[in-house]
Amino acid sequence: MSEGTMAVVKPEMKSYIWVQTADGSIQQVEEEVAMFCPMICREVLQTAMGSSKNYAISLPQRVNPATLGLILDYCRFHQLQGRSNKERKIFDEKFVRLDTEKLCELASAADSLQLRPLVDLTSRALARMIEGRTPEEVREIFNIPDDLTEEEKLEPLRNITDDPHIRLLNRLYARKRKELKEREQLKSIENEEERVDKRSVDDLLSFINGGDGDSKGVRAIKNKKKNRKRKDQLPRNSSSNNGNGDHKKNDTVDNVASPNKSSKFQDSEPPNLEFVEDDMDDELDPAMREEIDREVEDFARRLNSVWPKRIQESVSLGNERLVPMSVYGSGSLKRFNGFGKQQ
Amino acid sequence: MPLSLSLSLSLIRASNEEEKDRRRSTNPEVSFFFVFHFWYFNLKLCMDSILGQDVISDLPQSIVETILTKIPIRDAVRTSILSSKWRYKWANLTHLVFDDRCSSLYNDKGLVEGNLVKFITRFLFLHDGPIHMFTLSSTYLQGSPYIDQWLLFLSRKDVKELVIELGDRGWFRAPTCLFSCRKLTRLELIHCELDPPPSFKGFLSLKCLVLQQVYIAPDKVENLLSSCPLLESLTLSYFDSFALSICAPNLKYLCLEGEFKDIRLENTPLLIFVSVSMYMTDDTAEHFEQSTSCNFDKFLGGVPCLQRLIGYIYFTKYLSVGNELGKLPITYSHLKIVQLYEVSFEDMKEILVVLRLILNSPILQELQISSSSNTSLATEATDLDFWENECPSDCTFRLLKSVKIADISGVPHEMEFIKFLLRNSPVLEVMSIIPSTCVTDGRINMLIELLRFRRASAEAEITFIQN
Repeated sequence: MSEGTMAVVKPEMKSYIWVQTADGSIQQVEEEVAMFCPMICREVLQTAMGSSKNYAISLPQRVNPATLGLILDYCRFHQLQGRSNKERKIFDEKFVRLDTEKLCELASAADSLQLRPLVDLTSRALARMIEGRTPEEVREIFNIPDDLTEEEKLEPLRNITDDPHIRLLNRLYARKRKELKEREQLKSIENEEERVDKRSVDDLLSFINGGDGDSKGVRAIKNKKKNRKRKDQLPRNSSSNNGNGDHKKNDTVDNVASPNKSSKFQDSEPPNLEFVEDDMDDELDPAMREEIDREVEDFARRLNSVWPKRIQESVSLGNERLVPMSVYGSGSLKRFNGFGKQQ
Repeated sequence: MPLSLSLSLSLIRASNEEEKDRRRSTNPEVSFFFVFHFWYFNLKLCMDSILGQDVISDLPQSIVETILTKIPIRDAVRTSILSSKWRYKWANLTHLVFDDRCSSLYNDKGLVEGNLVKFITRFLFLHDGPIHMFTLSSTYLQGSPYIDQWLLFLSRKDVKELVIELGDRGWFRAPTCLFSCRKLTRLELIHCELDPPPSFKGFLSLKCLVLQQVYIAPDKVENLLSSCPLLESLTLSYFDSFALSICAPNLKYLCLEGEFKDIRLENTPLLIFVSVSMYMTDDTAEHFEQSTSCNFDKFLGGVPCLQRLIGYIYFTKYLSVGNELGKLPITYSHLKIVQLYEVSFEDMKEILVVLRLILNSPILQELQISSSSNTSLATEATDLDFWENECPSDCTFRLLKSVKIADISGVPHEMEFIKFLLRNSPVLEVMSIIPSTCVTDGRINMLIELLRFRRASAEAEITFIQN
């Protein structure tokens, strides 16, 4: 080219592509740099956008101007063919020395631009920050709120990591839970203990045999009501007056045989035998009452003669069945014995 | 009650911290430092949590998955207690890699195995969503019945890539549910027993198959290969002496390693990369001597698209059986790189194989040969007149740029071969000669001979590498 024509010919123009970020700002980018991003490349090729300011390619929402700058720096470096792998690695390592917020934004923006190598690079950097750190450290690094509820944390951390730290925490949580349960149990037991009949045997017998003063009667009635409520929970065999005695005996056997009925209350559940007035109802007419009185006397007699034998029978018959009883509450067995002894 | 709970929890945590601190230092000043640091740390925490934003929890799942797959899966699961958003992010992972890092290592192998089994079973049970890739690589799990259950679970999850690499202790027999993974595109099995059921119709989407140390009947292998129409990459390692006929119309990459009696590439027109390591026992050697067919044609007769060929150990010997220097029916018009190792230069037939190959590769650019000559036998070479009389003289390696000849002892055929190459490579840039470590005295003679050889290329550099 001669000197003359040099003045006429324009200098080589770099071609630019216009892009617009979500906040409306438009900027121009060198073509080869922009084409490194698959998304921009596709937009240019398919829709022929980006050639002028009016037809700027609108970038996805996740790309803000600051992040766009970073991405373009990355593209500018890597689109040059002549760089060695070592150079690229060194650049990459320096490039991801950002704070975590910027890294996350960068990853998100690169993902929306489909720039896979940058997504991998930023993800690797983020992964390095998570690996090997305790949850507290990770939360601190990434400002993650510690918003799992106490209950959710009390659920045993799925100890599939078999981390000794987590195992210890699990044990502590388990202990915590046990304490909670025990506290609940105590509460309910407290409720139950109100229902426990603390009357002495003599009282009961005297009541059976005709009733005493009001206080005891009142107490009996109170207890009766409570007993009835509790008795309702137990299986009620069809009661016939004649078989009442047997019925009661059956109940006893049932009671002994099925400790599962209300395991929590086993401690405090005294044997049914103490509440021989269970079928008594305040609203019963006197005739029925008389009959029931008779039965009660009958039963009391039998009770006194048969009970020690009965206990031995049950013990020998259902040793296995009695054993779980003792687990739930040795108190009940003791009470049986006490009852027998007092005879 | 919640207040007391949180208090007690924080106490527990604090006591943990204290314990850690105590372990770290007994010095009261240092412990004060730690307490202060702890307080400051907390203060900073509060400030950060007011000022800083939790951006990472709102990243799209694809990025979270990319991040979580770059850390060991154990750590990935631990992210579940970071916050409520992170509780189940790990459960949506689609690429799962389980290895021995999933359990703390103990001396008791049974304990490690138990832990691994527990971890993987619980993980799979709590997993939510599709599973695209499953890799299991462990030396502890051997013949565990749980592997069968996991495979059953995976077969229902439309797994696409499956890699199972188990240790050497026993033989894992792949259950039939493996063959009902219809969507498999990649299958890698290492050290197991494979027995496809008669009803197996093939993996119709399988593109990559790697079987290493897999015990499988020969005819079943052929059936398996021919029933995977999309197969592009095949690797068979440590297979024991059988005859194999490969019929895979889409196959592009082939790696074979083992003792094969006979390999026939029947229908592999698209093959571009072949790597063969041929081991030989006395039986197979005998078999070779008795064979009349031309192995070269059987193996390389139908691969016009071949771009790179690598042969190890006895491959050239295998090809030499029944070989003549006659014109091949095809030209390797895409073959750029040829690497043949352990070529025995005292055997004229093997030299013929090499020649036949390179003479039919017009665009050959890179050649690497290593020699395994038995020096005493080779120095008594009687048929040296081949190079003058029968060797074609009008061949030019028009694009050959780089040649590397290794482990040579300076025996006559080797030197003639180098001379042949130098004379016929007009664009040669580098010829590297690496003498065999057994030869110490003859090196000077080798060099003297090399100096005299005519070079067709003015740019040719002969580098003699000795260490």
